[in-house]
Amino acid sequence: MKPLDPRLLTYARAARGYLALTVATGLVTAGLVIAQAVLLGRVLGQVVVAAGSVDAGIAPDPLPLAAVTSAIVWLVVVMVVRAVSTTVQERFAHRAATNAVNELRERLVTHGARLGPRWLASGEGPALVTLATRGLDNLEPYFVRYLPQLVLAATLTPLTWVVVLSYDWFSAVLVAVAVPLIPVFMILVGRMTEGRSARQLTVMKRLGTQMLDLVAGLPTLRTFGRQAGPATRVRQLGDTHRRATLSTLKIAFLSGMVLELLATFGVALVAVFIGFKLRDGGTDLVTALTVLILAPEVFGPLRQVGTQFHASTDGVAAAESAFKVLDTPLPPSGTTPCPDLRTATVALTGVGVRSTGGWTPDGLDLTLAPGRVTALVGPSGTGKSTTVEVVLGLLHPDRGGVAVRTASDQDPTTQGLDLANLDLRSYWDQIAWLPQRPFLEPGTLQALLGHPDPADRDRAATLTGLDTVVADLPDGWDTELGRGGTGLSVGQRQRVALTRALLAPAPLVVLDEPTAHLDAHGESVVLDTVAALRAAGSAVLLVAHRASLVATADDVVTVTARPQTADETDAPAAVRQGLA
Amino acid sequence: MSTTQTAPPTTLTPPDTPRTRGTLLRAVRLTGVRPLAVITSIGLGTLALGCAVALGATSAWLIARASQMPPVVALSLAATAVRAFGLGRGVMRYLERLASHSTALSGMTNLRTTVYARLAEGTPEAVLRVRRGDLLARVGADVDEVGFLVVRALIPLGVAVTLGVGTCIAMAVLWLPAGIALAGCLLVAGWLAPTLTAVSVRRAEQRAAAARARMNAVALGMLDDAGPMTVAGRTPVEVARLETADADIARAVDRSAAPAALAAGLGLLAQAAAVVVALVTGIPAVEQGRLAPTMLAVVVLTPLAAFEATQVLPAAAVQLQRSRAAAARILALLDSAQPTGAEPAPLDFDQRVAVAEADDERLGDLIAELSEDDQAEILRALGPDRAATFLDGDGLAPTDRLRQAAARPGPVVRPLRATALACGWTGRDPVVTEVDLDLEVGRTVAVAGPSGAGKTTLLLTLAGLLPVRGGRLRLGDHDLDTLDRGDIVRSVVATTEDAHVFGTTVLENLRVARGDVEDAEARRVLDDVGLGPWLAALPDGLDTLLGPDARTVSGGERRRLLLARALLAPAPLLLVDEPGEHLDPASADRIITDLLTPRPDRGVLVVTHRISPLGAADEVLWIEHGRVAARGKHTALLTDVPGYAAAAQRERVEEERSEEGGR
Repeated sequence: MKPLDPRLLTYARAARGYLALTVATGLVTAGLVIAQAVLLGRVLGQVVVAAGSVDAGIAPDPLPLAAVTSAIVWLVVVMVVRAVSTTVQERFAHRAATNAVNELRERLVTHGARLGPRWLASGEGPALVTLATRGLDNLEPYFVRYLPQLVLAATLTPLTWVVVLSYDWFSAVLVAVAVPLIPVFMILVGRMTEGRSARQLTVMKRLGTQMLDLVAGLPTLRTFGRQAGPATRVRQLGDTHRRATLSTLKIAFLSGMVLELLATFGVALVAVFIGFKLRDGGTDLVTALTVLILAPEVFGPLRQVGTQFHASTDGVAAAESAFKVLDTPLPPSGTTPCPDLRTATVALTGVGVRSTGGWTPDGLDLTLAPGRVTALVGPSGTGKSTTVEVVLGLLHPDRGGVAVRTASDQDPTTQGLDLANLDLRSYWDQIAWLPQRPFLEPGTLQALLGHPDPADRDRAATLTGLDTVVADLPDGWDTELGRGGTGLSVGQRQRVALTRALLAPAPLVVLDEPTAHLDAHGESVVLDTVAALRAAGSAVLLVAHRASLVATADDVVTVTARPQTADETDAPAAVRQGLA
Repeated sequence: MSTTQTAPPTTLTPPDTPRTRGTLLRAVRLTGVRPLAVITSIGLGTLALGCAVALGATSAWLIARASQMPPVVALSLAATAVRAFGLGRGVMRYLERLASHSTALSGMTNLRTTVYARLAEGTPEAVLRVRRGDLLARVGADVDEVGFLVVRALIPLGVAVTLGVGTCIAMAVLWLPAGIALAGCLLVAGWLAPTLTAVSVRRAEQRAAAARARMNAVALGMLDDAGPMTVAGRTPVEVARLETADADIARAVDRSAAPAALAAGLGLLAQAAAVVVALVTGIPAVEQGRLAPTMLAVVVLTPLAAFEATQVLPAAAVQLQRSRAAAARILALLDSAQPTGAEPAPLDFDQRVAVAEADDERLGDLIAELSEDDQAEILRALGPDRAATFLDGDGLAPTDRLRQAAARPGPVVRPLRATALACGWTGRDPVVTEVDLDLEVGRTVAVAGPSGAGKTTLLLTLAGLLPVRGGRLRLGDHDLDTLDRGDIVRSVVATTEDAHVFGTTVLENLRVARGDVEDAEARRVLDDVGLGPWLAALPDGLDTLLGPDARTVSGGERRRLLLARALLAPAPLLLVDEPGEHLDPASADRIITDLLTPRPDRGVLVVTHRISPLGAADEVLWIEHGRVAARGKHTALLTDVPGYAAAAQRERVEEERSEEGGR
């Protein structure tokens, strides 16, 4: 990552104001550091020179302290202001860091949710939770420690150098030679050691994994009474790990040493040079002292940037991962409002979705019409749930398409409205979806069902069997449910979801294996619910395993998969080779 | 610093982490870090920063002196010293970092080995109780955290103290008021500022804990249920909740940030005070001739370099807190494994390890010095071949016990008999009581019942992994409780549902049960459990590496592999937990029937919620509501026990349906 990734300012607006503040305090600090050096150099220089003249008996200076009193007062003022400025900077650093992290997190979670369930389940998806909840917090050292030093390196370092130049050009040249050497040597050392430390890092990771594997297996080893032997192995792995880590560190710390050496030795050279120049009468004491005090300040921020960068690498890595997710384009959504699904039909033609094993489903045709129940059947792994995602517009099929046909446009030769061009929000607003693991937002049961008329509610609840569930709840209909309906079993949550679907029948209802967690009685509940929904004019899509459920359907569609054929496997590989 | 240091995962932070004194000390002792190693690192670190202070002081003197235009010779020594200090700092710092990291890393290894060994030797329940994620976090991240204490807290603190005292004394010698002022200012920067920072961090963590938990839950929910939430139009509401939680975190952090900010300013203020006091008291002294003008430059400019060591102390204070919390978690785990509270010295184990690693000659001498208990354990660990050479040697008195330990830990045929047994986890009510049960070779028993009936708890108790909570459990002529684990596993082993598949080869995974499993034997057993075709398809056969926790193995394959491992155990009595899980009904039934078919050299107990295949068992125990509701042959239970018959019926109907539906 670059020292300061501009994307950080794009994605975390809180960082912009903070950066401005940091630059401001950086400039103030630079001014104060210079003022401090100049004042201190002048006071010390005058006193020492005056005392020296007394010793030499040349020109007695009557009152050294009185002569420098105003300078000392100014020095105190400068130092206090510097402390205040640092306090202010630090005070806002924490706020800015938290706000920036929060902002990134909100964007990340929202973006991840919009990328959809399929993206979340594959590739970087599963790591997103950890990244969003804990990983991003590592950015705090970056904001609080690293960024201010980086800004100081861009303000304090050049400004102090200019002041040194104005006092003594040769010292400035010495510094100007040493400063660029720092990045040059650090890059050189980095290049030289890159391959080696990468290899060692792999070894370290492997050893760490092996060690933790033994620990994770400890309960198992205990059951076989074989736990004693691996203790030795844990130690051996630990020792090997330590040796591998140390040899990596030997190299990693080299760059730190180069930095320290150049910075400190640079200061030492300036001190010696200016000392001898002073001795030869080439300059005066005030100048020499000012240069001496300023020289370490030129190198200081550079050294700090090096140190703090190591501490903030985790945060930088987290930010990189976050940017990668945020830069993933969202699936396009259309703008055409969706027709009324109470009269329109949804049709899938020749739908195929490519998966690791081939095409699941393959060449699927399906029509969902108002007042009809369609059952999707087929062995597991053929793409029934994938088909549901396609119907819901959460997944764009690789072949074929989804079309919505209005009542007036039932001519099978026309295309209808492509789902890809529709405003999905207006489509989803007409859909009730009960996934295998029903999702219930937190709140009271009553609120969850949309505060229905008690008579309607009780009728629906009797049908779905929710009444018996409610009878056992401590607060009845006013029971608070946690996220996902904590406190209820999956089967009970299913009944809540079914009741909700019944109370406000959506034009299109999708039920994914609604009987999976229900016993024989629960199953008849689902059958009755489906019948009631059909009577209410809803189009119902059922993913079904049980024969009874399949029997209620008006249409039964068998989902089939097609394993990847040889030429299909070869084609992308050839493309990949071509790209490589 | 505030939340710079993120709190560990919530599951790891017990809300009331005991802040008992001595926690950290105990944990540090367990790391076996030698004081000398720490002192060496502190010495090197002091030299490194000492170079920086000396550089500041010497160059100040050099310039002040140069202004008096002395002969060049008068300056040459100082000039050389300045250059040397300039080089010394980088080199010393490099050496210090290497030394301190080496110390910390070996401390982590020691602590990790000790934790592992304690858990391996302590009560089995302690290990079974901890979730795998927590176990890994404690042995992994928490141990690291305690190790970091050395590098990030102890050594910086030691350096700051040594250097601070040294600098103050040197200054006091030059000009007493400056020395005293510096001491006071260093105390403010090195003690007050870090304390304030630590307060900030602690407050922020406490205040934000609730909001952080809410943020975690909402973020997790949004990503877990992304699809349903999107379709239901719930996303904007959830984003709003996330923003609220985030805002609460921000407020909590913001309210707690003041002390840390103050601390940052205090450091600079302290430095300023030291400079100004030296200046104001020094100038009159120069005037009065009590202080040389060159020395005035030294006492005024040295404080500019002297505060570097205290700058890192706020971070050290935060590390101290984090290490203490990690140490408390580790020790809580260790204490739970050591209910007696007696803490064996860490040397015990190190000694044993040293023994196992040493060459045979030294090994003989070392073994001779140990107690008979330890001798037996080492001989057992060495394996029969190596152990035999020591038994015949002259260092040991070959008692029967040692002979037995040295011999191949072969099977011992003994019946397992439970009478009115009560089973449960310590600290909770027993979940199953009044269990009578007989298991001996040639006999098979099935324990069935609805999920949550306590079947697994019963199995763990029978295997000696949970303490007996009531009644009696005898293995041969002894109460199981009185036997040591090494002895028990020669007669009875259990395989649990969540048993671990190690990140090693197929063969080594099977050798977990018995160290000397041969290729042919492994193939035969894998074939028996229906993994023949799977093995044939593996790229390197038995030598194929399985991923950590066998992610490359499907649920059903994993189940069968664990079963094969159990079958290879030398113990004649086998307790198997849910062997049919993750398998299709037909395969599950086949495997359970195989297990339950009596064999003359084995006694098998199977815990299962599947009922259909139990016809092969000599006896079925039907567990309901925490006790044995019925027992007998499968056929008899089907006719006599309505609950049992109904469960069997349900199972059949469901299968038929799923077959039809699946068609």
